[in-house]
Amino acid sequence: MATGDSEAAPTTQPAIGVDEWVASHDARRDRGVGPVGTAQRAVDRVPKLGWYVAFTLAAAMVPLVTSNGYIIRVGFDTLIYMLLALGLNIVVGFAGLLDLGYVAFFGFGAYGYAMLSSSQFHQRWPTVSVLILVTLATAALGFIVALPSRRLIGDYLAIVTLFFGQLFVTVTNNGDRITILGFTRGYNITNGPNGIADVAPFSIFGHQLETLESYYYVALIFFLVVLSAVYLVNNSRTGRSWRSIREDSLAAELMGMPVNRLKLYAFAFGAGVAGLTGTLFASLNTAVFSSDFDTPTLITVYAILILGGAGSLGGVILGALVVNVTLEVLRTPNHATWIFFTLILATLIAKLRPWWVLGAVIVSTFVLGLVVNAVVTAINAEWASGHGAVRGELGRWLDRFLPIPPDPMKVGNWAFIALVAGVLALTVVRTLWRNLLLPVVLYLAIYAWDARLAFEPSITRLIMIGVILIVLMNARPQGLLGETRVEIV
Amino acid sequence: MVKKAITVAVGGACVSAALVLAGVATSAAAKTAAKSPTSVSCKNPIQIGFMGPFTGPAASIGDDQLHWGEYFEQIWNATHKLKINLVQGDTQLNPAIASTVSQSFASNSSIVGVIGPAGSQEVTASAPILKKAGLGFSSGSATNIALTNGSLKGYFFRDVPNDGVQGPTDAAYMQTHLGVSKGSSVMIIDDQESYSTGLAGIVESALKKAGVNVDRESINQKDTDFSSIVAKVTSSTKVVFTPFQLASQTQLLAQQLKAQGKTAVVFASDGSFDSKTFNVPGSYVSFFAPDVTTIKADNAVVSAYNKVFPGGTTPFGAPNYVLAEAWAQAATKACAAGKGTLTRAALRAAFAKTDLSTTILGTPVAFTPNGDVVGAKFHIFKIESGGKYVTVA
Amino acid sequence: MNWNLFVSELVAGTVHGCVYALIALGYSMVYGILKLLNFAHGDVYMVGSFIGFGILTVFGGATALSIPIWLLLVIMFAAAMLGGGLLGVGIERFAYRRLRDAPRIAPLITALGVSFFLENAALLIVGAEYQSFNSFSWNPNSSGVGQLWAIGITLPGNVRLSLAQMIVIAGTVVLMLALTYFVGRTQLGRAMRAVSFDRQAADMMGIDVNRVIAVTFFVGSALAGAAAIFNGIVYQQVWAYMGFQAGLKGFTAAVIGGIGNLPGAVLGGLLLGLAESFTQGYVSTTFSDAMVFVILIAVMIFRPNGLIGKPALAKV
Repeated sequence: MATGDSEAAPTTQPAIGVDEWVASHDARRDRGVGPVGTAQRAVDRVPKLGWYVAFTLAAAMVPLVTSNGYIIRVGFDTLIYMLLALGLNIVVGFAGLLDLGYVAFFGFGAYGYAMLSSSQFHQRWPTVSVLILVTLATAALGFIVALPSRRLIGDYLAIVTLFFGQLFVTVTNNGDRITILGFTRGYNITNGPNGIADVAPFSIFGHQLETLESYYYVALIFFLVVLSAVYLVNNSRTGRSWRSIREDSLAAELMGMPVNRLKLYAFAFGAGVAGLTGTLFASLNTAVFSSDFDTPTLITVYAILILGGAGSLGGVILGALVVNVTLEVLRTPNHATWIFFTLILATLIAKLRPWWVLGAVIVSTFVLGLVVNAVVTAINAEWASGHGAVRGELGRWLDRFLPIPPDPMKVGNWAFIALVAGVLALTVVRTLWRNLLLPVVLYLAIYAWDARLAFEPSITRLIMIGVILIVLMNARPQGLLGETRVEIV
Repeated sequence: MVKKAITVAVGGACVSAALVLAGVATSAAAKTAAKSPTSVSCKNPIQIGFMGPFTGPAASIGDDQLHWGEYFEQIWNATHKLKINLVQGDTQLNPAIASTVSQSFASNSSIVGVIGPAGSQEVTASAPILKKAGLGFSSGSATNIALTNGSLKGYFFRDVPNDGVQGPTDAAYMQTHLGVSKGSSVMIIDDQESYSTGLAGIVESALKKAGVNVDRESINQKDTDFSSIVAKVTSSTKVVFTPFQLASQTQLLAQQLKAQGKTAVVFASDGSFDSKTFNVPGSYVSFFAPDVTTIKADNAVVSAYNKVFPGGTTPFGAPNYVLAEAWAQAATKACAAGKGTLTRAALRAAFAKTDLSTTILGTPVAFTPNGDVVGAKFHIFKIESGGKYVTVA
Repeated sequence: MNWNLFVSELVAGTVHGCVYALIALGYSMVYGILKLLNFAHGDVYMVGSFIGFGILTVFGGATALSIPIWLLLVIMFAAAMLGGGLLGVGIERFAYRRLRDAPRIAPLITALGVSFFLENAALLIVGAEYQSFNSFSWNPNSSGVGQLWAIGITLPGNVRLSLAQMIVIAGTVVLMLALTYFVGRTQLGRAMRAVSFDRQAADMMGIDVNRVIAVTFFVGSALAGAAAIFNGIVYQQVWAYMGFQAGLKGFTAAVIGGIGNLPGAVLGGLLLGLAESFTQGYVSTTFSDAMVFVILIAVMIFRPNGLIGKPALAKV
């Protein structure tokens, strides 16, 4: 029973004593059957590199197929988030250190570039030297921040880095009145809440970057360079030692790895990437403010990283696409409506079996709608005389099923609360009750959407992102492309 | 080793491919940079972008602005053939997000004008993009003086007077009526936002020139407790000047001052002009219009507004109603002049010539060439017992 | 020596510290049991505040109360603690239960998702305006400075300690003593300690782990509800995003004191409150945040496991 045999004929009989085949049994069982399984197997056969090449080509094509500035801008923002998540991946995903002050490095890079390329201190240094200098300076700052944090583990490190992040925001926001312990006059270093405004654009080889497309390409190139660097580091000795620190730092130390030094390197590397991203950010926006680098940005980067799968490079790309693009697409009420209904339908199709139950649920939702609308109109026609928020053909059609009063705010609020209660109830009841409850909950969902949620697309957008985060993390706690790990606490 | 070499090779190929494409694209982009201005038909509803912080820490301000704008939209659309439609853009008071939102407005060819952004920081961040796209934009709350120094002439407008008008008025009143003179003490507290620090800076320098001792303090908009600052108010402090954006913070500060038995008078700026929220008797507020709620015609507007959007209002709301009105009027004029079509440039020019003789603010609204409102003047109000606002200057 | 300033800052810091301590206790309890940082805790606090505000409105609002103030306070506390507790249990049941064995970073994002949801649902339903408890006007018969603030004692240094502030300090002490008794002396408290030591072993010893975790969340969130009412009485403001900052401060206090450690959470809260007050009073209000951070970083450097945290024995 040489192991060489098993690789030639792995299909029919389980070969007793052959480790690899037995070990992969669970993974094979998890794979779906039928077309979904075949698709999954085909996807698994594509080498990782192929995906990155495909992504690069797709990303490079974006400005060529569209001249819509907004789409290119969203692409640029997504690339910035990808860069940030990549840097954070080194600290959190590879080395396992919870760094809650990461955006401060981003801000430091941005402010550093701004101070050296604007009228704040009347400096206009050549771009390439500024980039190198700022990246190294931010890496040094990361090193310094990590120095006192060596003795700290886990959540204590998190809190100190959080303080540092808040400290950065406070100092830059009040940086127009910095005094040395109250003895000297106030110095204006960061121009306080008004920020540093006329930041010069990049000037590469004498050619100034003026258009959005050129910035997009520069961002893409930066991302590819950093991605390659991170990939190479990940596969090197340093990367392997980072991973061992993440899994069990005590054992790593016992094996002779310089744990403290490695933590410092991880911090510095991550900070350097953030600093580089900051310069790119500052030059496109031509202005930097302290509120650009506050906790909401940190939360978005973390959501991207962990949703995609901490420790996975492809996960960073996927996470940024999912989170940022979804956030932007949900801004427009029409798109949000379509996404909302599509998500509901997709969940139903994926979860409801057999097919006739699905059909019955949908039909009974319609019937329920007609009945409710008829009853309410019969009781008091004024109660159904208002319009929902959804416009156009779909809106007119919905008005026939939904009795919306002329002032829908109160009723919409109650429908929303009832919807949340109903969805929670759905997750606990048994199948029969669930199928009976489904049409009611579906109707409530459509009603709450039309009567209240679609009136406030900005708020609804964030509610939907919150729900998506909860559902996705519950369904796949390791992230979309992450690997299941067992954590030793 | 081979795998690594392949990786590096493919990576290099990707990068060079991207570079080549970049070169191609930038040269292509340079050619298509100059686009002809698009025009929209006046038969469809006129799309006006509305930027503001509708969620996030400043949501109380942004939501109020949005609701007043939407309320005007409802009233206008019910009585006019030319319809308007407000397109929301939530900036969360973050200048980077404001850039992205303004880019989305710029690239949306059906949007012909913008209301917002709300904060001075966001105006600075969005200005290059909006100006490049030819969009006129008007703010109801960005009061930084530098915004109307001429660089955004014809593009940026605001219907609230800037800090350069309010600051000197407040400082002068303090000296003439509140007993502040050479040698007396005044405490100035800002909330670390640019609206507040700008105003505080102007008042501080005006008072310092008159020889007044100024104690400059600072809070955060997220703070909920001012006992520590109140403890620093001495018995010789005559006035506490609080140019906060949030009236609830001014109210709390005034209440805590009273609770600790301090005799200093609270003087707030237009951000705190809200009789439901800030009503500690004996305090003063400055505002750029006579009281909105006491003008008879406006009573109807305010109560109708409260029916549609219950929950109170802030002083930042009504200026946005007026802005929406100005855009609607400008669109009517420009559509008539353009014979049924409208371009961004034409609407901008019509907006610059806005001349509303009566508005719910109680003052007429017209714009100077640099974008400020003509005839800006601030009134001082005193809060009497029962929380009533009475005009004193 | 300016006694007035010193005692004022001491009082302000202590009262604020008490509110932080109660929030930090909730964080510590949940962390001790599940090793989970519940970032949605601040939003439970926010919901508790709105429950209290709702009750205030139901009984007439600040200037026209229809019941005596002491009865109002009792009802507000009961409702906020009950409501907060139930919300905490619900969050655990629906958002965290499936992630008990997942890497610790996954529930972090779920907690953020819950936080987004609660904050923006509150924004949608209640609106973005700041509401106020307005306890300064609580007086069934007239307006002006109400009973809670008119009644008080004068401390050395000519500083006034009002009834509202005394309620907060006394209430925190009572709640802490009750919690210590509960965790230290009762059967359920023993079960909680067992589960926090070793969940699998406790399960095998016959403890209903799900129930114990639910009770932990209930108690922790009820404390947040109590903190919300205290905050409302003294600091008045209620609005949809208030939980974010409060949660951050509570989390800071919990970690400073040694996370998972109940007396540490209280100590951390008091330290944070006093540090804030004294830096604002004696150094500068502009940079008080920065100074507090520097102080706290220094504390963490010298005591890497928190003020009274024990270095965790790492299982190798």
